[in-house]
Amino acid sequence: MSVDDRPINRSQPASVDSPQRRAFLSGSAGALALRWLFQSDEAVASGIGSSGGEGPHAAPKAKRVIYLFQAGAPSQVDTFDAKPGLAARLGEEIPSSVRGEQRLTGMTSGQKSFPIAPSPFKFDRCGSSGAWLSETLPHLRKHADRMCIVRSVFTEAINHDPATTLMQTGHQLAGRPSFGSWLSYGLGSLNRNLPSFVVLISRPSGKTNAQPLHERMWGSGFLPSEHQGVRFSPGRDPVLYLSNPDGVSAADRRAMLDDLGVLNRERGKTHRDPAVESRIAQYELAFRMQSSVPELADLSREPQSTFDRYGPESRKPGTFAANCVLARRLAERDVRFIQLYHRGWDQHTDIRGGIPSQCYDTDQPSAALLADLEERGLLEDTLVVWGGEFGRTVFSQGKIESGNFGRDHHPRCFSIWLAGGGVRPGVTYGETDDFSYNIVKDPVHVHDLHATLLHLLGLDHKRLTFRTQGRDYRLTDVSGELVTGLMS
Amino acid sequence: MRTAIGHGAVALTLVVGAAAVVWAGPQGSPQGTSALAEGAQALLARRCVSCHGPDSVARRAGLRLDRRDLAISRLPSGRTAIQPGKPAESELLKRVSLKATGVMPPHGAGKPLDPNEQRLLRNWISAGAPYQPHWSLRPLSRPVLPRVRAGGWSRTPEDRFVLARLEQEKLSPSPPADRATLIRRVTLDLTGLPPTPAEVKDFASDVSSDAYERLVDRLLASPRFGERMAVDWLDAARYADTNGFQVDRDREMWPWRDWVIRSFNSNLPFDEFTVQQLAGDLLPSPTLDQRIATGFLRNHMLNEEGGIIPEEFLVEYVADRVETLGTIWLGMTVGCARCHDHKYDPLTQKEYYRLFAYFNSANEKGIGNYGAPPKLSAPPLLQLPTDEQRARFERLKLKVASAEKSAAMAAAAQKAEVDKRLADALKELSNYELTIPTIMVMEELPAPRPTHILTRGQYDRPGEAVTPGTPECLPMGPPAVTQNRLALARWLTDRRNPLPARVAVNRFWQMLFGEGLVRTPDDFGIQGERPTHPELLEHLAWSFSAPKGEGGVGLGWDVKALLKRLVLSATYRQSSAYRPELQDRDPENRLLARMSRVRLPAEMIRDNALAVAGLLKDQIGGPSVKPYHPPGLYEQVAATNTTYTQGGAEELYRRSMYTYWRRSVPHPAMLAFDAGFREKCSVRRSRTSTPLQALNLMNDPTYVDAAKALARRVREEGGPTDAERITFAFRLVLAREPSAAEAAVLLRRLRTAPRPGPEGSAAAWERLAATLLNLDETIHRE
Repeated sequence: MSVDDRPINRSQPASVDSPQRRAFLSGSAGALALRWLFQSDEAVASGIGSSGGEGPHAAPKAKRVIYLFQAGAPSQVDTFDAKPGLAARLGEEIPSSVRGEQRLTGMTSGQKSFPIAPSPFKFDRCGSSGAWLSETLPHLRKHADRMCIVRSVFTEAINHDPATTLMQTGHQLAGRPSFGSWLSYGLGSLNRNLPSFVVLISRPSGKTNAQPLHERMWGSGFLPSEHQGVRFSPGRDPVLYLSNPDGVSAADRRAMLDDLGVLNRERGKTHRDPAVESRIAQYELAFRMQSSVPELADLSREPQSTFDRYGPESRKPGTFAANCVLARRLAERDVRFIQLYHRGWDQHTDIRGGIPSQCYDTDQPSAALLADLEERGLLEDTLVVWGGEFGRTVFSQGKIESGNFGRDHHPRCFSIWLAGGGVRPGVTYGETDDFSYNIVKDPVHVHDLHATLLHLLGLDHKRLTFRTQGRDYRLTDVSGELVTGLMS
Repeated sequence: MRTAIGHGAVALTLVVGAAAVVWAGPQGSPQGTSALAEGAQALLARRCVSCHGPDSVARRAGLRLDRRDLAISRLPSGRTAIQPGKPAESELLKRVSLKATGVMPPHGAGKPLDPNEQRLLRNWISAGAPYQPHWSLRPLSRPVLPRVRAGGWSRTPEDRFVLARLEQEKLSPSPPADRATLIRRVTLDLTGLPPTPAEVKDFASDVSSDAYERLVDRLLASPRFGERMAVDWLDAARYADTNGFQVDRDREMWPWRDWVIRSFNSNLPFDEFTVQQLAGDLLPSPTLDQRIATGFLRNHMLNEEGGIIPEEFLVEYVADRVETLGTIWLGMTVGCARCHDHKYDPLTQKEYYRLFAYFNSANEKGIGNYGAPPKLSAPPLLQLPTDEQRARFERLKLKVASAEKSAAMAAAAQKAEVDKRLADALKELSNYELTIPTIMVMEELPAPRPTHILTRGQYDRPGEAVTPGTPECLPMGPPAVTQNRLALARWLTDRRNPLPARVAVNRFWQMLFGEGLVRTPDDFGIQGERPTHPELLEHLAWSFSAPKGEGGVGLGWDVKALLKRLVLSATYRQSSAYRPELQDRDPENRLLARMSRVRLPAEMIRDNALAVAGLLKDQIGGPSVKPYHPPGLYEQVAATNTTYTQGGAEELYRRSMYTYWRRSVPHPAMLAFDAGFREKCSVRRSRTSTPLQALNLMNDPTYVDAAKALARRVREEGGPTDAERITFAFRLVLAREPSAAEAAVLLRRLRTAPRPGPEGSAAAWERLAATLLNLDETIHRE
């Protein structure tokens, strides 16, 4: 039998465990490879910690994640990192002392002048917490007291591909498991009819430069591939190959599965490979998914109030708004990690047009999701994360022309927000200098963010490891500090 | 040396079974000091060495426990960690048994050592704290064939090692697999395709004593052999059809892939296979094929993103080559030494950059040219026109030359016209050039690019300059005039270097047996697993790298001969049926008391279905093809305007290894069945079982087509009765007859057609065919 084919609950002496399988929680067999298919109904019913073995390392504050990834890198200068003092300095050179030795991309490194481009958008204090949000986020403004805005996230990566890969896998180069895969591996599934890690992707409605995504961003790296994210798409097959071919009815399929089960077990009498039961279980789960997934993806039974809340785009399959409705439905069904990607945040030009257009796509649905989760009692144990892969420069890429301009990549500081399970609400954390260029207070590295998110999920980022190539790998590589200021 | 390796097995024995039997080596040496050393060193490596080891930056208290001379010397604190022979005076023992302050490993660095572990260290220190070199770094030696009691079982020398071990454990091997199982097994393993019913029948009825050997010879001579072997190599060599970063544009490396197939088919010896890929361009008067081979070193990802700093990615490419080399030939995690000295294995950061230096002088840029047509993005390039293309290209060049001439001589009145003619000719030439296959290859700069140690591995923090050189923990290579890639390749294929042969034979073993003798095929270092059969691995490595015929077993790097010996073994021919009495003792089948039962790799699952349905096209090589693909996949993920354009009918049913491999969005069926992304070197795939696999096999149009074609075939060729047809279908798909129970299940189902009328009958047979293609057995090799 292959290393990965074994049912997890078979007891075996820890000593026969291979290094790969010894990975998590010091080697007790029960804690290994917590699969989304082998759980009993009782385990599902009792929730966290029952999905096999030792479960999480500590009491979790959240049991699932909705990660609203804003691909392309939203400008912090125009959304959350208010710098009212800059208005008077339009077109002035950014002081070289501020810019320092900071690396520039090939797109602006040839620039002779770095004129300050204050945000064209108005900022106001919102909620009783008084958080600053720009006018481009009218809906989120109403939820400022639910949000924990972090203005001091930083990264080393300055280009989309490595930066997104770092944000999603903890490493700039390809090959590591994504956050959702780690969670699937570490905590297993909470339900028996759906995958534990689902990915939903939307393209921008406006005309903008949509950076490509890569399957690796939700890939399982060196973890067994059952932990890779399962992409749900709009259209006939929300999950690839979900629907039966033309002319094959559900009854036909049922008949075939019945025969398969009998034949597989019949042959099993000869080879006696216990993995055959796992194969049969997979087919049964596939069959259940053929009804559970379309039911999940079918928004036609949502009341009008849902669409009113999530906005006009939410009726169009494949939009960020529709995906937010789906995210709520997935959370209701206890999918562990729900990863949304919204593309199109790469405003090298046209901040004036691009930011409002991206906000039109994302602001109302994100706000609606928060309210909806809260109303349903899900926000308290769902961790919501909103953010991109880096920030953008306060200076203009190229010249400021007719009051419009673009912004280049900026890894030194950017803003994200968190909400829900275990997150301190109504807080603005971290500070940047007057130019939103350097962090002056409470820096949060990507690894720190990952460590903190894992902590809220009951996992110690130093103990969530997998051994490969002679090393115990972690999502946080060799660093990561808990950011207590973000936690309630 | 031999006994030392024998003792390595003792530690393993302890690991394997609950009822562990200490294995006295074949010559009867008792458990002794080298077993102690092995155990103690492994424990120290696991628990202590990351802070008390080779990494000079991480090292605490000035203590190194990975080297005896340093472990026993006085520390700056005045204390001594290990006093050989004097456990009571050894600080190490004191510290691991402390309950509170000062305990080692310190709080937060893992659990305290348990009493057994402490006892092991005490015994070891009492015995004088002997050290021995890590097993994989010791010189290759030729083990004596062990004595066995049931001598008649063995068919090859290799069997003796397996049997000796089984006898030690008081176990007997499994009976041989039946002939039908055996031919399906060996045909899948060596060609990646199933045997035809006629082949099964011939073999089953061939009573001559060499029937199996002739079968094996036929398979090794089949052109399908090269394709099958290439699949594993493409994973290791991170072969793909796109660049992998960002927009993920196409590249055109398939001529290199075809070179791999050709090389396996022509049985290019593994040492030559190595040299040509690492340094074919540096051979004297290299042939075209030898230059194509160096495409291996350009298979890494390539960044064309506008904003990048070329130097940064140049470093990444070179680092990728070093890591790939480390994994494939050294079984060493060399990448760990990029930022600091290796924490476990004897490889310093400086040595890492000396390896790096070999690959750092290609005439390349770190950034691809996004403005150029994709295939011309990243020189050095090699154009590979067919004769016809070459002739046409030459004609077009002449046309340009003549247009240039007329342009130069043209009178003012005709200027516009001749200029246009010249422009047209140039355009025609450059357009035509784009139809010529062009691959990326290696080519050295006239003078080597200087290499520096990079502080923390960062491209912009160069430190000390280094020259090319090989790690000190391994023997020197043959003398070379220039330390270049060729010298490196010669070093790898020098039989004094023990790692390449050990690592390579382990991969071949893994390919046939499902798991390697070392189950971490990418890590033969201190943190990797020990071999399950150390002497067998040693014997195979020695034989593989010894000149042909030497000692009666030398193979001179002959891959086909090695594989032949392995598949002829009695070990390989055993039944793969699970044995209840072994379930607790050896659940992972480390002792090889039965053959493995393995789920087929992604490519084989699809190829098998196409083959049994009679759909598979047998064309070898050529540009990658675009078979069925779920609509809309690229549009969602990929860069703007990237769509998947399905190929024509001739592209639908080629072998899976020819499916276009887009790194950012690999074919979903490949991902579902555990293929990687081909972003970096990989020598092992996981084998999982998921519902996405079930959905793929049930609903992917490829399998729908296969089920239809199979059903048609069964009805047309299977005979007049349903029972005969079912038997025929079983023979096609599973190479065996159905049991009465199996036939009954299918017959009963046939009677309830999904639809009425003749169409209903067709549908019933299609359902039956789909059932067979979805059987657990169909996607396994037993």
